[in-house]
Amino acid sequence: MKKAASVASQIFIERGRQVFQMDDYMSLIRGGHNFSVISTATRDIYSHYMKADLIINSDKRSYEMHADELDKNGLIIYNSDEIDNAEGIGVPFYSEAKKFPAKNLLYGVGAVAILACSIGISKNDLNEIIKREYPHFVEDNISFANFIYDYVFPKLNNKFEIENGDKKRPILTGNQSIAFGAIAGGLDVYFGYPMTPASSILHTLASQTDKFGLAIVHPENEIAVINMAIGSAFAGAKAMVGSSGGGFALMSEGFSLAGMTEAPVLCVLSMRPGPATGVPTYTEQGDLNFALNVGHGEFLRIVACPCSVKEAFYLSAEMLDLVWKFQTPGILLTEKHLSESSMTVDINMENTKWAEPKYHKNGNYKRYLDTEDGISPLLFPPSKNVIKWNSYEHDELGITTENPELITKMHNKRYKKDMHIIDFLKQLKTVNVYGNGGPLIFTYGSTTMSVLEALHYGDIEATIIQPIYLRPFPVWELERYKDEPVITIELSKMGQFTSLLKEKANIKSKNLINKYDGRPFDPIELAKKIKEVI
Amino acid sequence: MNTLDTYAENTWCPGCGNFGILNAFKKAIVKLEEKGINREYIVISAGIGCHAKIFDYLNISGLYSLHGRDIATIQGMKIANPELNVITFSGDGNAMGEGLAHTIFAAKRNFDMTLILHNNGVYALTTGQYTPLSEKGWKGPSTPKGSVEEPLNALAIMLEAGATFIARGFPGKQAHLTDIMVKAIEHKGFSFIEILQPTVAYNDTWQFYRENTEILEKEPKSFDEAMKNVKRKDKLPIGIFYRIKKPTFHEELYGNWNPVRNRISREKRFQLLKQYLT
Repeated sequence: MKKAASVASQIFIERGRQVFQMDDYMSLIRGGHNFSVISTATRDIYSHYMKADLIINSDKRSYEMHADELDKNGLIIYNSDEIDNAEGIGVPFYSEAKKFPAKNLLYGVGAVAILACSIGISKNDLNEIIKREYPHFVEDNISFANFIYDYVFPKLNNKFEIENGDKKRPILTGNQSIAFGAIAGGLDVYFGYPMTPASSILHTLASQTDKFGLAIVHPENEIAVINMAIGSAFAGAKAMVGSSGGGFALMSEGFSLAGMTEAPVLCVLSMRPGPATGVPTYTEQGDLNFALNVGHGEFLRIVACPCSVKEAFYLSAEMLDLVWKFQTPGILLTEKHLSESSMTVDINMENTKWAEPKYHKNGNYKRYLDTEDGISPLLFPPSKNVIKWNSYEHDELGITTENPELITKMHNKRYKKDMHIIDFLKQLKTVNVYGNGGPLIFTYGSTTMSVLEALHYGDIEATIIQPIYLRPFPVWELERYKDEPVITIELSKMGQFTSLLKEKANIKSKNLINKYDGRPFDPIELAKKIKEVI
Repeated sequence: MNTLDTYAENTWCPGCGNFGILNAFKKAIVKLEEKGINREYIVISAGIGCHAKIFDYLNISGLYSLHGRDIATIQGMKIANPELNVITFSGDGNAMGEGLAHTIFAAKRNFDMTLILHNNGVYALTTGQYTPLSEKGWKGPSTPKGSVEEPLNALAIMLEAGATFIARGFPGKQAHLTDIMVKAIEHKGFSFIEILQPTVAYNDTWQFYRENTEILEKEPKSFDEAMKNVKRKDKLPIGIFYRIKKPTFHEELYGNWNPVRNRISREKRFQLLKQYLT
C-alpha cells in the first residue's frame, strides 16, 4: 500500500500540486492493517487530513476502520468479495486479482487505477504510469488496472476535478531530507543500527555510498555506533549517527565521551512513543527531556528540532556545522511523523551550511589549547604533532590529570563554549514565528505543521512560535512573551515542552493541548481544540 | 626523532608486567619505522583500567577511550582514514567483558587493527575483582567465597570469531614479544595478541609464567592445530598460533577509497543531489 501511496502522490506532483503523505503501518512484516493518507493542495500543505474525499479499502477490516472518515461529498471503495451491499462502491478486488500470479501486490495497482479514474486521467496515461511504476509482471498489472478502471468508470469518472498547481516539486520523507541535508553539509561517514523510525536514514545513505564517497556502517550495536563515530571524528571525518529512544539510550555513555573529548558528532534522535519498546511505528514527543539532558557530566550539548521536511534539510547541515564549530555532540531531534511522512519541498541548496571547524595552522600543537572562546583548533593524524583526545580529565596536551587546578581550568575552558555559542546562535534563526496577531501558540517539531494546517482549516487567526533550538534555549528571542497568556501544543502526556518554556523563559501556558495516542494531530480535530480555548 | 615517552608520571606498581608491555611496544615502533611504517601513521586507543595508562605514557596520537569501547573507537578511526595503522590496548575485563561484543565483531569482520590484550586475570585498578578470564575460585571483593564461573579462553574465542592473526606473548620474553607486536601490526586484518601480564599487587604470576610458558617451536599450520595449541593447559605456549590472509573490512566496504582524503567537494555534491531535489 505504501508503494501505491507514493505512486498516487507522484500523480498529484506531476500536476504541479503539493502533497503531504502520511504512512501508518504496524510493527510487522506482512499483513495487519496498514494505510496511507495523501492530502494535496495547490498551496503549501502541512498535514494529511483523516477526513478524505476518496477512501480505497482492499479488505473488510480497512473498511470498518475508515468508513466514518469519509467526507460528505466523498466516495468510499470496498472489496465486494468480502462485504456485500455496503455504502460506497464495491470492487471485486480478490476474485479479479486471483487470476494473476502476484495477486497480493495487485491491490496497490487497483488503488492507483481507481484514483486515476476519479481525477480524470485517461486509460492510456494510466497505463504509462503502471509501466513506469510497476515494471515487474507489467502485462498483468496493466490488465488488472484496466479491469478496475473500467469497472469503476461509470460511477467515478472524473468525479474529483482537480486543478493543476504551479510547478512540479520533488517529494521527500523527513529522513531522506535529513540524509541529503547532511550530505550537502559535508557528511563523510554514518553509523547506524536499525531502529524504527530512524532506519531509513541509514538505508537512504547506504544507497548513496558510491555516488557521494561515503562510508556507511551498520555495526554490532548502538554503543559501537557512537564510539565509531567519535573515532571517525578524531580522524577528521564528519560523522553522524541515528536512532530512536532505546538505541539512543545505549549511546548516552558515548555521548558523554564526545562531551569530554570534545568530539564533534551529530546524532539524529527520531522519537516514537515510549517508554521502553513503546509503540515502534508511531509518533510522540516524549523524549524531549531525554534529549536535553542525555549524557553524564557537565558539557555543551546542542539540540535542535525541525518543523518540516524542508527545514530538516537545512537544519541537519547547520547542526553538522555547529557540532564541528563547537566540537561537541549535538542532537537533531525529530519524530516518526516527520521522519516517515513525505512532503513536496522547495529546497535551495545554496542556502545550506557546510561544516567548517577551526583548524590548527602551524607550530606546536596542543589538542586542548585553552583559547578565548574555549575552542581548541583541530588537527588530524597523520601528523608530526602528537594529537591526544582523552576521556579522562586532561591537560591541554591531552594527558590525564587529577590536579585540582587543571580540573578547574579545563571545566572553565569547556564552559566558555557554552557562553560563546549563545552569541553565535543569536546570529542564526533559532525561532520561527508564523502569523501575527491573535492568541500566541507555542509548539515545536512536526507538531508545528499540524498547528499551521489547523489554523488554515479553521480559519483561525493566531501567532505560532516554534523554537528550532531547544538547547541552548533561545530565551533572547522569547523574552517579549513572558507575561503573555499562551497556548502550548505538543505530543506529550506530561507537557515536557510546556515545562521547558516555563523553566527557561518563564513563559506560562494557560492551555496545554496534548495528544499521546501515537498519532499526530489531525488538522480538523486540532482546529476544534484550539477554538475551544481561544 | 621525538621521544616515545611523555611527561606523564608513571603510576604502575613497581614490577608490574605492564612495564614490559610498554617497553616491547616502544621497541616495536622503532622496528616498524625501520620497515617504513612511520609513527605518524600509527594511532592508538585504550580502554579503562591499569593497562590503559599506557596511553598517557606513549608519545603517540590517539584517543583514550571508555571501558571496553576502545575497540569501537579505533575502528571508527580506520574507517575514516584507512592510511592509519590502528592499535588498541585492552584489559581482560575491557575486551572480554564490557567490550566483548566489539571484540568479537572486530574479529568477525576481519577489521584491519591490532588488539593488544593485557591479560592479568584481575580487575586491578578497581581493587582485585575476578575478570572474564580469571580461574574459577578467584577470591576478590565481589566474590569473597570464590568466583563460581569458568574462565573464557580469549584466543579460542578469537579464532572461532574469525581473527586472522592470533598470538600470545609474555613480557618476561621481551625480544619475542616485540617481534610478535611488529608482525601483528604489519598484518593486514584483525590481529590479536594475548599478553600474559603479571600484576604484582593482586596476581603476581611472574614465577608461574616463567616456569610454565614455552615458545612455540613452529607456527601451527591449520586452524585445528592452532585451536589445540591455544587450549593447552599443561604448558602455556607463546608465539604466533594462526595467520591467514583474508580481505579486510574497509577494503570490502569501499575498496581503495579514503573518506577523508577523497572527500567529494561541496559543488560536486550539489550537482549530484540535484536529481533528488529538483
